[in-house]
This record gives sequence, C-alpha cells and structure tokens, in this order.
Amino acid sequence: MSAEIFGSWIVVFLTLCIFSYLFDDNPFYKAAEHIFIGVSAGYWAVIAFWQQIQPNLFGRLWPKLEDVGEGSVLQSAWYSIYKVLNFISTGFGILDRSIFPEGGIKGYDEIRLMYLIPFILGTFMLLRLVPKVGWLARWAIAYIVGMTAGLRFYSFLNSDILIQIKASTIDFSSDWGTIINGLIVFIGTMTGLIYFFFSKEHKGSFGTLSKIGIYFLMIKFGASFGFAVMGRISLLIGRINQLKDYSTAEFNYATPIISIFIIICLAIWSFMDGGNKNESTA
Amino acid sequence: METLKNIFIKLGSMDRRIIFLLVGLSVLFPLLKPDWFTLPIRPKQHSQIVFDEINKLEAGSKVLLSFEYGPSTKPEIHPMTIALLRHMFVKDIKVYAVALWPDGNFMSMIAFDEVAVEYNKKIGIDYVNLGYKPGGEAVIKGIASDIRTLYTVDLNGTSLDEIPMMQNMNNVEDFDFVFSLSAGTPGSKEWVQYATDPKGIAMSTGCTSIQVTDIVPYVENGQIRGILAGMPGAAEYEELVKTELTSRGLVIKSGEATSMMSAQSMAHVVIVLLIIFGNISYYLTRNNKRKGRK
Repeated sequence: MSAEIFGSWIVVFLTLCIFSYLFDDNPFYKAAEHIFIGVSAGYWAVIAFWQQIQPNLFGRLWPKLEDVGEGSVLQSAWYSIYKVLNFISTGFGILDRSIFPEGGIKGYDEIRLMYLIPFILGTFMLLRLVPKVGWLARWAIAYIVGMTAGLRFYSFLNSDILIQIKASTIDFSSDWGTIINGLIVFIGTMTGLIYFFFSKEHKGSFGTLSKIGIYFLMIKFGASFGFAVMGRISLLIGRINQLKDYSTAEFNYATPIISIFIIICLAIWSFMDGGNKNESTA
Repeated sequence: METLKNIFIKLGSMDRRIIFLLVGLSVLFPLLKPDWFTLPIRPKQHSQIVFDEINKLEAGSKVLLSFEYGPSTKPEIHPMTIALLRHMFVKDIKVYAVALWPDGNFMSMIAFDEVAVEYNKKIGIDYVNLGYKPGGEAVIKGIASDIRTLYTVDLNGTSLDEIPMMQNMNNVEDFDFVFSLSAGTPGSKEWVQYATDPKGIAMSTGCTSIQVTDIVPYVENGQIRGILAGMPGAAEYEELVKTELTSRGLVIKSGEATSMMSAQSMAHVVIVLLIIFGNISYYLTRNNKRKGRK
C-alpha cells in the first residue's frame, strides 16, 4: 500500500469518525476529536519552536561565532551558557545536537542581549507548571496583556472607529442612490448605538429609535447566519468531494469500505449502549 | 386542508438526522452528477473589483500574499488561491507568500507546487515563500516595520540575502499590493489595522463566508478593495480569470469552486425549504395550542 493510499484511508476514516457525531456522540467521534486536538497542539508547538524560538530568540542571543567576530572573555562566558543549554537539550550528550548547533545559530551578526527579557518571560510562563513558583507566570501574562492592549488601541481606534465614523457620513453632493445608501448606514449606525445605550430607559421616542436599532441588528444577524450556513455547506461539500474522490478503485475503495465498517460498529455500539442506558434508567 | 396541516405539523417534529441526510444528499447528488445541475456563474461587484485591482498591476509588481487558512477551510479559500496565483503568474507579478497560521505553510506549498509548474515560475525569482511565524498581529506589525527582523530565511531555509527577489524588500511599503487569504484571526482585519491602513498600501481579501459581514464595512469604505466572499466569491474569480486567460489564448479547465457551486446552490434550496416548512409548522402548532387553550 503506497503512502498516498494509506493517507487517503486515514483521511476517510477520520472524516467519517467526525461525521458519525451526526448519529450520536460515540467512541469514533471521541477518538477523532482527541487525535485532532493532540496532533494540532503538537504540530503548533513544534512549528512555533523551530520557526520562532530557535531562530529568532536563541539565534539572536547566540549568533554564529564566525558572524559575530572575535570576542572578549565575556563573550566566551556567554557562549559557555550556550554549551550548557546544548548539553541539557541533548539529554546530557546522549542525543545529536539540533537546537544549539556547533558555534552558534546562523542568521544574525551580533549578540542582542535585549532578547533575554522575552527569554526570561517565556521561562516564567513555563513555571506555571511548578505550583510553588507558578505566580511568576503572571508577570509574563501581565506583559502580554499590557502590550497587546497598547498595540491594539491605536490600530483599532484608527481603522475601526475614526475611519468608520468618516465612512458613515452622508455625502450630499453625490447621486441619489449614494445619498439614500448613506442615510440607511447613518440611521442604522445611530439607532444601533442607541440600542446599546443603557443609561437611559428605552421608552418613548428613545425606545422607538432603540427598536429600529434592533431591526438593523436583526438584519445583520440574519446576514451573518446566512453566510455562516453558506460557509458550513462549503466545508461539507469539500469533505464529501474528497470522500467521493477516495471511493474509487485507485484508492482501494476507501470510502465505501470504511463507511460500512463504521456503520456496523455504530450499530453494535448503539445496541450495546442502548442496553446500558436502559439499565441506568431502570 | 386538515391533512395538509397535519403533515406540516408532523414535519416540525422531524428527526434531526433526517434533516442531516437531506442536506447530505442535496450536496452529494450534484457532485455525483454535475451535468444535471449546471448553473451559470455571474461575477458580482466585489469580485470584479478584486479582479480589476490585480489586473491593473503591471508586470514585475510585488504582491504580498498572506495565507491565513488551513485544511479545515480549504474548500472555500484554496480555489481562490489557485485562481489568484494563475492570474498573477500570467501577468508576471512577483508573489511573496507569508503564513500567519501554522497550516498556512502546507496550503502555500500545495498552491505553489500546482500553479508554478503550469506557468514555469521559479522560486526565488518569480515567487518566494517566507513561511509561517507565530505571533499573529505582532508578525503583521513586524512585516509592516521590518521584515528582516522576523524572517532571516525562507521556508526552504535559504537566507533572504541570497534570494534575488528579496533585494530591497524591507517592509510592507515595498509591496505594491497585499492580498489576505483569510479564514479567521489573525487575518484580513489585522492586516487592515496594523499594516495597510497605517502605511497606505492597497489591499484585497478572499475570506470564508462566515467572516464576510465583519469584513464588508472595511470594503464599503475602501480600506479593503473588493472581497472574494467564500466559495461563491472563489467561483466568480475563477470565472473572471478563465475569461482573462482565454482572451490571452490560454486554455484552463474550470476551477474547483466552480465545480462545487451547483452542490452549494442545491444545499441552499433544501435549507431554505426546510426553514419555510419549519416556520409554517411552528405557526400551525402555535395556533393549535392557542385554540386548545380557548
């Protein structure tokens, strides 16, 4: 069996495992769900390490010695830490070196000690696993929250507030179509905002405007729901299309064989589980 | 009349699994028998804007293509990627790919492997794939200010200094256009907020259907130039690219999204009918309950 056929059987099996949830929550679905979470987490961790931490953090702290040039005693001392880290990462010299290559990491031409700060904060995050010093993780989290809030503030203010306010003004010098469109946007924005203004009771004319706001919000939710349905159907089409492709002789009839297998197993499981349910009810 | 009412009331308590089956069959039949369900595809305004924006770029223009999707949203976004790459490669536009999602790497590699061969495009000369960097908004911010602080090598491990296309490419301002292939966060919204709005770079997006209502405000006021909205957007773009390539004497087969649109339309018909029947059933059941109370 070639790798492609083997891969197709796994694809079909996992897809049908997930689809089996439509029948009922069952062991096939649970297994596929757990595999998905485990594989995703593992893949993400490996990618994050090799694409970011190793080249961009360790690479900046310990660049290739030949790129950095002749160094002082301090530099030698600094690179002795690198050697210690390498010793630990290779399981005390048992494994081949990969994270910390001989003579430093290629990519940068100067040691940037500033990057010790993210290194330390990153280490603090991991200390969450040690209950006694777990509180140190809060420092790293505080930095992330503060930095993200600051970073997002200006961008959000500019792109989502100022430019959007500018766009909701009505250009009375343009054609009728644009003016009417602008008026609808303006009324929708104002009444929508009124609906979310809770410092005044929604009564009288204020209540009427708030009600108009609800209708605009309903239209938005309706459009979102429509698009969500469309998106989910697109994904279903993608899966069914792939199942169809893998149902041919080229892939050893992966789809029909695995479908029959899962259906038989679900029928047995349902019969057995049904018995269990009856027992528990009794 | 009473029998009809009873049928509708019974429809309201239909087992959900029958609904799943109906939707599944409505998707399956058009895929098995595409000739029976052929529907025309007419590009809408937003897709046309995206096409025109790419079409007016000159040969040698530099486009930053950001992959923010994975296998889970491949059916919606990937056909756009293929059509877009065909369009850009036929116009000799230089493509710079980055990924904000880890599985975006796979998507970009699959897309380049398929389309670069068709147009005889070489990595490092016609396109470059910088790959994934974790960090989301921070990566976009980094690309906006200095690419080289984030990327030292491309996805194949080639140093950026050794890639001819990367000469004089330092930040987002060195690109003529940004295109975000987005399935969520970080995605198109973040590109607008952290890169294209502050730096004044033209940008378009191809996104999943579920994101459309969130992205449209940016499109309506010109922060994003056009939008390819889900699978229909992809099919429309495929149609526009096909027409363009045919006018250049090139022959391409129909795109993946185009072939799946009949299934999409049939599923929509079934869902709309189910919603209508569901509402009629609800209305009749409620009326019966009220009468019962009286």
